[in-house]
Amino acid sequence: MDDKRSELKKIIMDTKTLPTLPGVINKLNMLSENEKSSVQEMAKIVSSDSVLSARILRLANSPSYGFYRVSTISNAMILLGVNVVKSLALSSSIFEIMEKNSVGLWEHSLAVGVASNIIARKLALSECEEIATAGLLHDIGKVIISLKCSEAETAILAAIREQEIYMREAEQLVLDTDHAEVGAWLSKSWFLPDKLSEPISFHHNVIQSDTHRVKTSVVHIADIIIKASGFGNSGDIFVPKIQQAAWDCLKLSQELLAEMVEDIEDKLIEVKNFSLEIQA
Amino acid sequence: MQKIPLMLAKADMIIGRDVFRGDTQVGIPVCGRGTVLTDSLIDRLERLDVQTIIVEGHPVWEDGDLSLDDMLLDLSRRFDKVKDDPLTARLYAIYKANLIKSMGDDGGRQAE
Ligand SMILES: [Fe+2]
Ligand SMILES: [Fe+2]
Repeated sequence: MDDKRSELKKIIMDTKTLPTLPGVINKLNMLSENEKSSVQEMAKIVSSDSVLSARILRLANSPSYGFYRVSTISNAMILLGVNVVKSLALSSSIFEIMEKNSVGLWEHSLAVGVASNIIARKLALSECEEIATAGLLHDIGKVIISLKCSEAETAILAAIREQEIYMREAEQLVLDTDHAEVGAWLSKSWFLPDKLSEPISFHHNVIQSDTHRVKTSVVHIADIIIKASGFGNSGDIFVPKIQQAAWDCLKLSQELLAEMVEDIEDKLIEVKNFSLEIQA
Repeated sequence: MQKIPLMLAKADMIIGRDVFRGDTQVGIPVCGRGTVLTDSLIDRLERLDVQTIIVEGHPVWEDGDLSLDDMLLDLSRRFDKVKDDPLTARLYAIYKANLIKSMGDDGGRQAE
């Protein structure tokens, strides 16, 4: 009985009302593939979008990223690296959608992004910034559900409370799909790279992630730690189970987990301040 | 750790986060993490336009603050569905121990 689901997919993915990625990101993608293009050229493109520039500078100066007093886009690019600025551009434009929508989910996402970064660094993984971006975006499907099916969202929230179930179970009950799958659809239509789309699509089912299972596992663990911490509002009342596949994939241990939690909790104080500041 | 208005700062509290001039996050910290507050230091922070600081433990109680018991109860509820799962139970144990530790020895103000 896939009817309801494919019907919904059509509604949700209706491109006319789907948030689009700013053209800036596509231009940046093209430029950064061309070895010869300079940081200055790229900075010029970013600077042409004043809202985006303001956001990048704000993010680059935020304690969560650990850099201070970055006042120009080209300095931000030199300091942070082109990939980071691209990640920032991508996440900040998505956050524009999210921030207006729900502060609780924005805080949850920001915290999972920061936690993913801390875990990735602790495990000395490569592409920590990409992992952080994946963490930031992991629940983007929830934003789309809330934008496109606000009535269903009300029913989902009611089901979570009344039946004491996980949000994904409630989404399946009401919509026949869940935010991870919606996130997967969205990743496709935005042409996000696999290293972002896999964690988005499989952060609740790590074993399905083939190519980037390490990244997916990091986001899975980060999501659970943030839910355990009670920080922000993911929509879930209950902490989900840590999947054995993620634990094994990252070769976690009790000691390692305890160290991660300590570092993350330490950073969350700054994340809270940053979130309050950006809402002001 | 707790964020408090400088007005409520008292000697012997311990700074949990670097403090910067005028409540910003930039420049050189005027007072580093781990510093023990004194009356003269509090005066100095006032003159530097610092409004809030973050201190170790949970020294200031206000209406609406959760007691340690309440927090442990909330934590336990959040883990309701996974306490029997061996991996997730480890995370529960870590959070439980942290809460008890972070509220300080005298932080365990009992629920009224
Ligand atoms: Fe999720
Ligand atoms: Fe999440």
